[in-house]
Amino acid sequence: MEPDAQLVQRCLRGEGPAWEELVRRHSRRVYNICYRFTGNPAEAEDLSQEVFLRIYRTLASYRTAYGGFPTWLTSVTRNLLIDHYRRTRHDRVTDSLEDVMPKVEEKHSPVRTPDKAALASELSAQVQSALSRLSPDLREAVILRDLQGLEYNEIQEVLSVPEGTVKSRINRGRIELARVLQEMGLRPE
Amino acid sequence: MTWTCVQIEERLSDYLDGLLPAAEQREFRAHVDSCSQCAPLLAQVTHVIGRLRTLEPEPAPAALVSKILDQTLGPRKTKRDWFSWLPMLWQPRFAMGTVTVLATLLIIFQAAGVRRSDITAANLNPVRIFHAADSHAHLAFARGVKFVNDLRVVYEIQSRLQPANNPAPNNTQPSSAPSQQKSPNESQRNQGTNGSFAFVATLIPDAPTRSPR
Repeated sequence: MEPDAQLVQRCLRGEGPAWEELVRRHSRRVYNICYRFTGNPAEAEDLSQEVFLRIYRTLASYRTAYGGFPTWLTSVTRNLLIDHYRRTRHDRVTDSLEDVMPKVEEKHSPVRTPDKAALASELSAQVQSALSRLSPDLREAVILRDLQGLEYNEIQEVLSVPEGTVKSRINRGRIELARVLQEMGLRPE
Repeated sequence: MTWTCVQIEERLSDYLDGLLPAAEQREFRAHVDSCSQCAPLLAQVTHVIGRLRTLEPEPAPAALVSKILDQTLGPRKTKRDWFSWLPMLWQPRFAMGTVTVLATLLIIFQAAGVRRSDITAANLNPVRIFHAADSHAHLAFARGVKFVNDLRVVYEIQSRLQPANNPAPNNTQPSSAPSQQKSPNESQRNQGTNGSFAFVATLIPDAPTRSPR
């Protein structure tokens, strides 16, 4: 597989297929970060498009010295998400948390015998709901670490904060998420 | 060193991510094992992290990539257009046609006595195919020419025999009854046995043996 840095160079020479390959390679990852952060598929799709539009316009500013292309991409995604969060904060204040919280009792009805896919989908929805109750700082830290599998130094680069802050946010985010999910009925067997 | 519950909470992720030195790791574990508050917390966080990491990434919407490409590169012809005919190959109609053609070829090859072992990679060499086709064409042409020439000889013999034979019945039996008249075939046969054949044979020695091929 051709390295991302090489594809970027080809993009800068105006090769459309190289850009297409970059988009195909990373669109799912960007979409997932946006989806986990916003909890809304339509919003996540719009934001993913914005991310790639921004990447396309600023591709010339990418240098391999910044770190890997995925880290840079994640960093751009994260900045755009934070901008989006600030822009739409006022709209969300009116939303009731109760509306977005799934009713755990209903989901764990004993008469239901859901298959594996249904269970995964249910867990995904619960996690999404719990993530939305975290502050953006903690939410993004947990998404990057435990859903995207980034290393501490990569998260530090993406968030542009000291290592201690990264560790602290990840830790507090995990504990907060665990408590919320426990309230929702997710406990170790 | 004895750890407090607050310290345990602060260093929980360091412990889970293996970032604690071995000694601190042991002390951490010793506290958690003996603490009724920290043990459930560690279990729950461990469980949640495990579940998060097993979550499959959500599939991106199908149109996302094309929307991005349309916005960045402009509306374009997708690569798929070039291969849009490919799915047609899987249609039953096309498959039936292919099978019929293959079966026909198989029957033709079998009838022509072509065996699979006779066909080698060398047979597929375009130069060899051209030479084989060329020599077959020349052979067929030569046979055709020979056939026409043979016919000419036959006609020539017939035309030479005709004037010699026709007057004979008229001269010898001018008033013979219809019942006694012989058919031209019979007369030819008789004359042939009477010496005309010998005449032809002297004219063209190998004429009777040559047959159109």
